[in-house]
Amino acid sequence: MVFFDFLREAILQSGLFDIGNLGTILYVLLFVGSTFIFLFYGTRIQAMVIMGDVRKSLEKLQGLKEKSRKEAVDYLNNICKAPTNAQTRIDQALEYFTIMPVDLDPNGIVGKLEHVIRLQDDRVRNEIKAIAPQADKVQLSVAQNMIEVATSLNMIFKIVRHFYIMSQKTKSYFILAQLQMIMPIIVQEADALVSAIDAFKLAQPIGDGLGPMVAGKFMLGKEKIEVERETIYAKTEYKGRNLLVMKAEGPMGSVGRPHVGVEKLLQDPNNNITTLIMVDAALKLEGENTGEIAEGIGAAIGGIGVEKFRIEAASVAKGIPMYAVVVKQSLIDAISVMKKEIAEAADKVIAVVQRIIEEKTKEGDTILLVGVGNTLGVGQ
Amino acid sequence: MAQMFPSIGEKRPKMPVFTVEECPRCGTKTKRAFKNGDYVYREGGDCPKCQAKTLITQIFAELIKLQ
Ligand SMILES: [Zn+2]
Repeated sequence: MVFFDFLREAILQSGLFDIGNLGTILYVLLFVGSTFIFLFYGTRIQAMVIMGDVRKSLEKLQGLKEKSRKEAVDYLNNICKAPTNAQTRIDQALEYFTIMPVDLDPNGIVGKLEHVIRLQDDRVRNEIKAIAPQADKVQLSVAQNMIEVATSLNMIFKIVRHFYIMSQKTKSYFILAQLQMIMPIIVQEADALVSAIDAFKLAQPIGDGLGPMVAGKFMLGKEKIEVERETIYAKTEYKGRNLLVMKAEGPMGSVGRPHVGVEKLLQDPNNNITTLIMVDAALKLEGENTGEIAEGIGAAIGGIGVEKFRIEAASVAKGIPMYAVVVKQSLIDAISVMKKEIAEAADKVIAVVQRIIEEKTKEGDTILLVGVGNTLGVGQ
Repeated sequence: MAQMFPSIGEKRPKMPVFTVEECPRCGTKTKRAFKNGDYVYREGGDCPKCQAKTLITQIFAELIKLQ
């Protein structure tokens, strides 16, 4: 008993269980404990946090997807006068997929790619015509654009959801971490797509319509000739030069087939074109100003490359120079209602085009000017 | 890299859309709210100065700052 008395005395004297020291002990325990918790469960905790993050973004994507679908259905029902039972058909159209041609043997891939894309385009268009036979040309093109937006958002949502569920099932931290890393960009892009709907609904020009706006001004009051489906050109003159100006036929929401038009006009021996000038909207880098004009060389046309390929090939075959004038804009600006800065850039671009014509060509030359882009809300 | 990730841009607030009508005779420009059916290079209303037919030359969204 003496021993225990001594021990008690010793402990009390040591002050180990004073209130102040108790704090120190708890602190040390917490520190050591948390080290072990994070050592063994760190990744799992992090995964839970990321999972929450990704789930929130996924819910947002779902909301955007549903909004775009509803807008497309409403437009077809209210504006295009589609019967109300057309919803199932619209939902089917949103699920259309396109199988891209195999590129194991790249020989001839551009032709195959173009064929597949044309088929896809025709299919969606015919489907919309069947759903809403009373719609006019502008309404049809708007509906097609809206269905395309809804299809893209539907696809984005499905792919993200796939990886989300897969990471849950496999408990793979790395799938989740990759998903979280690209999520902000995906959500921003989805937001951009949704913002395009407002412009489409009212058939207002979008930022991408800058090229057609420039070309349209040259074509005012001239006879328009159809060179290819939804693609027209007009003959005009500028300071002794013959000017052929081409754009998609407006004010429908279409980009036309400028590559086929360029090919046909270049190959026509009656034209004898010596210079090709293309005007387009270009996606800007962060830090660049919206509406900034830049000049360059090459085929100024976006898309997956089919159009660019054929324009380049036609131009090489004739050995003629290609000049490009672009107006910088962000993705959102390019597909939402045209901003004031971009609309005002159109006249400046016309001045640049005129200067290029004066400097790079001589009197009697024939120049082909192409305004590339979606011509929604822009006539000629 | 730059090719793959261009600027997506800032989310835009709801901006009012305007139509600019230009008189081909006297050059007067009138700015009014966008009306359904307007499109660039469509015939606009009469010029307020010389009563000639105007032409729609611009349609754009503009952020109006209220002071
Ligand atoms: Zn006037």
